[in-house]
This record gives sequence, structure tokens and C-alpha cells, in this order.
Amino acid sequence: MSKPTPFQRVEGEEIMALGNSSCQGCGHATLARITFKVLGKNTVYTSVPGCIWIALQGSIPLYWRGTVFEGGGALISGIANGLEAVGKEMIVVGFYGDGGTADIGLQAMSAAAERNENVLWICADNEAYMNTGGQRSGLTPIYASTTTTPVASESRGKKSNKKNVPFIMAAHNIPYVATASIAYPNDLIGKLQYAKELKGFKYIHVQSPCPTGWGFDPARTIKVARLMVESGIWPLYEVTGGNNFKLTYKPRELKPVKEALILQGRFRHLDDSEYEYIQGQAVERWRQLLNVDGKKLPL
Amino acid sequence: MQTLLTTVSTLPEIILIEIRFHGRGGQGAVTASRVLAIAAFLEGHHSQSIPMYGTERRGAPVTAFVRIGEKSRMIRSLVHEPDYVVVLDPLLRNTVNITEGLKPGGTIIINSASPPEEIEFTSEYKVATVDATKVALETIGRPITNTAILGAFAKGTGEVKLESLIEAVKTEMSGRMADTNIKAVEKAYNSTIVGKNRVVKELKKVALPPANSRADWRTFRPIVDPAKCTGCQICWTFCPEHSINMMERKSTIDYIYCKGCGVCAEECPTKAITMVMESEKKEG
Ligand SMILES: Cc1ncc(C[n+]2csc(CCOP(=O)(O)OP(=O)(O)O)c2C)c(N)n1
Ligand code: SF4
Ligand code: SF4
Repeated sequence: MSKPTPFQRVEGEEIMALGNSSCQGCGHATLARITFKVLGKNTVYTSVPGCIWIALQGSIPLYWRGTVFEGGGALISGIANGLEAVGKEMIVVGFYGDGGTADIGLQAMSAAAERNENVLWICADNEAYMNTGGQRSGLTPIYASTTTTPVASESRGKKSNKKNVPFIMAAHNIPYVATASIAYPNDLIGKLQYAKELKGFKYIHVQSPCPTGWGFDPARTIKVARLMVESGIWPLYEVTGGNNFKLTYKPRELKPVKEALILQGRFRHLDDSEYEYIQGQAVERWRQLLNVDGKKLPL
Repeated sequence: MQTLLTTVSTLPEIILIEIRFHGRGGQGAVTASRVLAIAAFLEGHHSQSIPMYGTERRGAPVTAFVRIGEKSRMIRSLVHEPDYVVVLDPLLRNTVNITEGLKPGGTIIINSASPPEEIEFTSEYKVATVDATKVALETIGRPITNTAILGAFAKGTGEVKLESLIEAVKTEMSGRMADTNIKAVEKAYNSTIVGKNRVVKELKKVALPPANSRADWRTFRPIVDPAKCTGCQICWTFCPEHSINMMERKSTIDYIYCKGCGVCAEECPTKAITMVMESEKKEG
């Protein structure tokens, strides 16, 4: 194997302090660490209740504010406008969970995006309300077993599909929308660097596996994240300038979704037809994304 | 065996026993408290299982409580002066005050590979030990020590019967999970050593780690083989704690902050990092 030096492109100092409070192997800790390394110290950050708050609190020694679960969009807008009013140029970044982004946080985020506030919104997506014990969210994938969609005689896990929030955000015609994964740090770093320099609302949706809630050995956090991308379940792409779509990572061939799902306790119950459904979805999604790769989205 | 609960029927004043569990997130202290409460209930007692919720994460120290006795004594508060303390993790003793509020002469059931005589306290407590981590790995295949430690509780205190614990496990688990956990209870019951401990004037001073140290979260510790490490920095990139430093192009682990997640060992392309079980002695 050649020698990839993963953080080569970021000379910045390590901002995250030692001794965070996330679970062993929590993806959020890696995400926070990489993000702040790229954004640097001239940054203000915000959060709402959720595991990402826990990952940041006390371990990122920069100015920060947290607010109520539904208030992410309002808080981050207020801070950005306040800084502008006093003539301070700082990066304003918000870290919100899947609930804080896609469910209760959606309207305030959509409003902030529509006003094109000058902020960077990071959705730390662990696909359920993990901070309160793993209830399903709008970003929980179909068939996943959660504490509110448990597998039992009458239930096969979550009944509906994952909400496509990156595309919802792209439809706001904002300067930048991207998906990312903690297993692809260089891709994530490139996206953060690009977003850092842009004015306006930037949205980066990062898949960050949760060993506790997804039910896998904490050692496998990165492996699971990687397989979710390699199997086409979580494609990496970006939408620049309002509608230019580009896949930023194209596996030569998609791995079977089973390779990714079989490692996760929340999918342990899947039968052949359910695997087939998820497989079909991944392949079809990938085909459609390849079709628009390098083209303008009709937004 | 003379136990607090058997004295209960003759002495109406003592109609309550209180137990505190110490574990780390993921070891199942809360489930242990439930199973014990159910076992006591199956024997005809009233019981409560009280989890203490905070922002406990997998690996972080957790507390749970059980109260067993007469219905009229079932107050609804946390347990402050337990009769028994049950410790699911051998290393917690270094950082958590496990004897806090423990009644004089109370019993400590602790997961440890050492015999009770080697576990020292400055007051006179009774100590029972069991290598619950080993038992759990041999039966369940994972270091989840909650059911094993209950076997030790039954043996060390006599307050519940082994059979009741097994029945209680069956109400909480099913299938292979139940089978392996029942094996864990039995195996631990049979290998528990009940001792009378040596009281010492002063405990050996252990240098206390900083308050935000994560050393006591670990069950396994990563060991780097410098000969195999190529300096590729992959472990350093993915370590969620950034407790890896690249010193002279070799991966070096900061054991004060490493939580023992194993991501580095899993991701290392040359398999230069292996996870080995933490030993209590080395840690002291
Ligand atoms: C209005 C409101 N409802 C419920 C809660 C309780 N609560 C705190 S964190 C949380 C879940 C957060 O989930 P998510 O945003 O997905 O982040 P995660 O913890 O999964 O990273 C909930 C429901 C709250 N704080 N406010
Ligand atoms: S519950 Fe999941 S997301 Fe939350 S801290 Fe633990 S591993 Fe991270
Ligand atoms: S086990 Fe490895 S990756 Fe995990 S915290 Fe320790 S050094 Fe970091």
C-alpha cells in the first residue's frame, strides 16, 4: 500500500482537546476533530441537544452557543448577523444531529437557507435520536430497528424511507450542498475547505455511524461508514453554484449492500426480500446520480 | 447462610436491603439491576430497579440501584447507604469511590482476577471476587459482565437464589442470548471467591489521572508494534480521541485519553496495532 498522508492538506493545529465525552468509537468525535482542524480558530460554533453537542462540549475551546432542539436555524442566523453588525469576520458553523436538522430543526434551517445566511450547517447524521436512547428520526433508513420501531411479530423496523435532505437543501438554491462520510477524510476536508471560503448558506451532510445505536463493535465505525459509501447507500457528491451536480467519489463497482448492513445489529433481522429492496434502491439511486453527474440539476 | 433478607422475617425492623451497581456504559449495569430486582420479585419480595440516567456514553462510568424488601419500605429515592456494592469493572475502583456510603461491614462484589485478600480497603468490608470479564468472554463472547456479576452476587451474599436469577434472565432475554447469559451466571456463581479482606491503614497511593482521563473506559488497550508501523498516519487520522501521536513516524498512543475503541487496530493496513485485555495490575 502506498502511503496516504491523510491530513497532509491541512496544516492547521489540532483544536479539539483531549478527553471528549462521546462513546467509544463514536463517529461524531472524528467528525468534530477533522472539521475544526480545517476551519481553524477564527470560528464560532453552535449546536442543539444531541450527541454532537456532547462530542463538542468541553472539548472545543472556542466561543459557542447552544439552544433548544428546534432552534438551530434561528440561533445560527442570529450569531451570523450579530457578527456582521459589529463588523467581525468569523466562520459560523452549526453542528446538528439528524433530528435537529431533518425533523424538528427543518423549518428554522429551511428559513435560514432561504435567507441565504452566511453560515456553514453540518448535519452529523447518525440516523436516529441517539442522545435520548435511539428513537427513529426522519433520517433513519427503512427497516432499521430502533427503540420506537422495534422488530417484533408485527413490525419489521422502520416503515418509511430516509428523507433526502441534501436534495431538499439543494432545492433552496444555496451556494453549496454536499454529502460526506467520516471514512473519507480527504473528501470531507476538501468540502470543508471549499465551504469555508464561500459566502452564503453552506450545507454539508456527514454520515457518522453510531456503534451504540446501530449495534456494531466500536472498532468498526470507519469500516461501517466506508461500506455504506462503497455500497452506494450513502453516495458522496456536491452541488455547487446552486445546481451543478458532481459525484466526488465513484467506486468502480458498488459493493453489495449486504456487506454493509450485515455488520449492523439494527438490520440483523432483514430477510432476502428486504435486502433486495435496499439493494434495488441503492443501484437505482446510483444509476440516476451517474446520469446527472457533471450536469445541472433541474432545480 | 445468615443473610439480611432471612433475618428480615424475624426482625421486622430490618426489612430492606439496598444495592448499588457500578459499571461502565455497555457493560449492562442497568440490566443487571433489573434482573436482580426481578429475581427478588420472583422470590416473593417487593423490589425496585433504579437506573441513574445522565449523559452516560458507552464506556463511561454508570450507576444503578436495587432495593429489595417489604412493600411498605419501598421509598422512591436513589440509594445513598447501600448494604451491598456490586462493581462490574475491575478498573473503576481507581477512579470511582465505590465504597461511598457503604454500611459498615457491608459487602463488595467486584469483578477482579485477584482473590479477595488482595483487594484492600481502609474499613472492614467483606469482599467477594469473580473474574467476570473472563467469564463473560468465555460464555457470551463479549466483555459484558452484567449477568456474570449477578452470579457472584448470589454466591457472595446469598440474598437471591441462583435459580431465581436464571428465571429472571429468561424474562429479560430470549434465545441464544438467554442461554449464553445463563451460562455466565452459573459459571460466575461457581467461580466466585468469598473472602474476608485485609483492612489496611492506608491505601497504596495511585497517581490519579486527570479528571477528563478516559483510561478507565477501556476493556482492551491498543499496543503498537513499531517494527510493523510504517508511519502511514491512518490510525492517527481516524482515532476519535486523537490520542495517537506520530512520534518519529511511529504511532504512539496516549493511554490517558485512549478509550480503547479499537478503531486504530481495525484500520491499520499493516496490522501493527493489536488490542489486548487491560490488566488491573498494570494499570495500578
Ligand atoms: C423540543 C425537544 N424535544 C425533545 C428533546 C429531547 N432531546 C434531546 S436530544 C434529542 C435527540 C437528538 O437527536 P438527533 O438530533 O438525531 O441527534 P443525535 O443525538 O442522534 O446525534 C432529544 C429528542 C429536546 N431537547 N427538546
Ligand atoms: S450514542 Fe452514538 S452518536 Fe451518541 S455519543 Fe454514543 S456513539 Fe456517538
Ligand atoms: S483504541 Fe485506538 S482509535 Fe480508539 S481511542 Fe485508543 S488510540 Fe484512539
